Amino acid sequence: MALSIDQKKSLMTNLIRAEEFNRMMYRRMMQGKLIGFYHPAEGAIAPGVAASTFLNQDDNLSPHHRGHGITHMLSKGIDIKYYLAEHTGKVTGCCEGRSAFHFSFPEHKVYMMSGFIGYNFAPAVGWGFAAKQRQKGQVVMNCSGDGSYGQGRAHEALLMAQNWKLPIIFFCENNGMSIFSTAMEMHPKPDISSLAEGFGMPSAIVDGQNVFEVAEACLEAIARARAGDGPTFIEAKTLRFNEHDIGTPDLSGWEERSEQEHAEMRAREPVAIATKIALEEGWLTQPDIEHMREAALREITDVEAFADESEIARPPVEELMQGVFAP
Amino acid sequence: MRTITLTDAIREAIEEEMRVDSSVFVVGQDVRGAIFPHTKGLVEEFGTDRVVDTPIAESGMYGVAFGAAQEGMRPIVDFMFGGFSYVTFSECSVTTGQYHFLHGSQHALPIVITAGVGTGQRLANDHAMSIHGTFAHHPGIKVAMPSTPYDAKGMFKAAIRDNNPVVIPWHMGIMMLKGEVPDIGDDYIVPLGVADVKRVGSDVTVLANSLQLQHALSVAEKLAPEISVEVIDPRSFVPFDMETLLTSLEKTNRLVIVDEDWESGGFAATVSARVVEQGFDLLDAPILRVTLPNMPVPGGYMEEYVAPNPERIEAAIREVCL
Repeated sequence: MALSIDQKKSLMTNLIRAEEFNRMMYRRMMQGKLIGFYHPAEGAIAPGVAASTFLNQDDNLSPHHRGHGITHMLSKGIDIKYYLAEHTGKVTGCCEGRSAFHFSFPEHKVYMMSGFIGYNFAPAVGWGFAAKQRQKGQVVMNCSGDGSYGQGRAHEALLMAQNWKLPIIFFCENNGMSIFSTAMEMHPKPDISSLAEGFGMPSAIVDGQNVFEVAEACLEAIARARAGDGPTFIEAKTLRFNEHDIGTPDLSGWEERSEQEHAEMRAREPVAIATKIALEEGWLTQPDIEHMREAALREITDVEAFADESEIARPPVEELMQGVFAP
Repeated sequence: MRTITLTDAIREAIEEEMRVDSSVFVVGQDVRGAIFPHTKGLVEEFGTDRVVDTPIAESGMYGVAFGAAQEGMRPIVDFMFGGFSYVTFSECSVTTGQYHFLHGSQHALPIVITAGVGTGQRLANDHAMSIHGTFAHHPGIKVAMPSTPYDAKGMFKAAIRDNNPVVIPWHMGIMMLKGEVPDIGDDYIVPLGVADVKRVGSDVTVLANSLQLQHALSVAEKLAPEISVEVIDPRSFVPFDMETLLTSLEKTNRLVIVDEDWESGGFAATVSARVVEQGFDLLDAPILRVTLPNMPVPGGYMEEYVAPNPERIEAAIREVCL
């Protein structure tokens, strides 16, 4: 599905924001200004931007855990300051400072995060079930990595989504790595999307370093789902430039990833690829792109100030107990 | 008042709630054809959008309920046998229990989880284990189990209307137990978290639920000429009505807890600890527990003497009253 210039500009804006937000998270982790851990998204930001930028507020989104979902959430229009406040243990956090890296924005239908990889597949079936019954054309963008497709629940979700023609996009951000293990070793076929064939589900493989190519495939799948034509499997082949999470060795199997592998990956940098396309096609100039980056940096300054100026959440146990059950 | 069975009472609760609230639906495996009578006939009235059969895929099946609840619906998810819920335990206990609290208490998750549980069918561990103690261990989930048709209808209605995840299994050993229930249309609920004194007595308190409550009542009747037994049905395990139990102990000063769960780490252990912490001075004798020994529940004929039964309950009562 061909993109308009406005759509391409939106993607470019969100791609630059995603890059800068990831840099900010990386920096803060190294500075000791984040709680818990951080799984850097460098090299892998284009798929999430492409999958999330054109969703409506009432579409469900389950972000990939890489980059802690920030790439996806900012593209869907969520203000990241409440998530950074959460990730720094503050009272203004989206989960009242209780949850470290978890997020929840029910009003944007980004409900949850769980530490169990592949947790998203089971509820995604329920979101799709509800969307189909409601008949308002809502879709479910279910993002996760190649590793999550080892989970049996992924296969259960594919089965049930196709049985019931649910409006779900199974969006696999295949960066070829789950912690140290390669997808080549953990899956019998090089393409995770080959799973879709067994369920009779349409699928597409796209270059995950090219945000525009991914977005075209997503728009097509979203349109199919909105029209009631059922699920689609999209596999975006992407890359993980850094280690799995900050501080973990950068291994492939049990050996360091090679300098050659890093050099080859760095040649496929998503913002550089998008910039080249934008300048060649002539719908942005270099100063336009610089303005986008300046705006992103201003946004991040505000987001960090909000988090840093908020109070640490340390409510008494009695108060916390009041929040275990809903009224 | 009419007299109906426990499973008919559950079905009436589900039917009546589905009639008044279009967001209520049932999802499970072969709930349309009704492996157990409590879903029999629902599909004819409510159709396949609201009485939903899934493949044998417990995570996906539970996911229908979980995701739909986040979307504002009120699912009843039926695991057929309680042990089958363990196939998707990370979803139905951990992720379910933490959802509301961990995400800032901003979004309710109204799910009813039900299943047949308990000994009596000689089916062995995976089909016979109780689940209430295990779920009660995980914060954020209410847990209850009915002992009579009246309680079953009222408690299922309360569970369906509750804004939290509620695990409410029912015991297969009393599925055909008959009891008085108000006429159809006479709406009532039995609130979660309220215990019930099922028999008044003065010498010893027996806390028992479901099939074991029926056993306790029969033992109490048998012992009436020599020992006055008060029988309390907790009805809910989470939240648990400690006040009713302590009030009873002020009178009897003796406690036997009957729980069809393993001895180790079960609900009976939790109650024992709480009574020692909160009511130590009320006790004239050690608390005794009648539970499953710490072995996988055997099938076949040995089930009847391994599981709690009237003989074991009577022996425990006599021991604390010595």
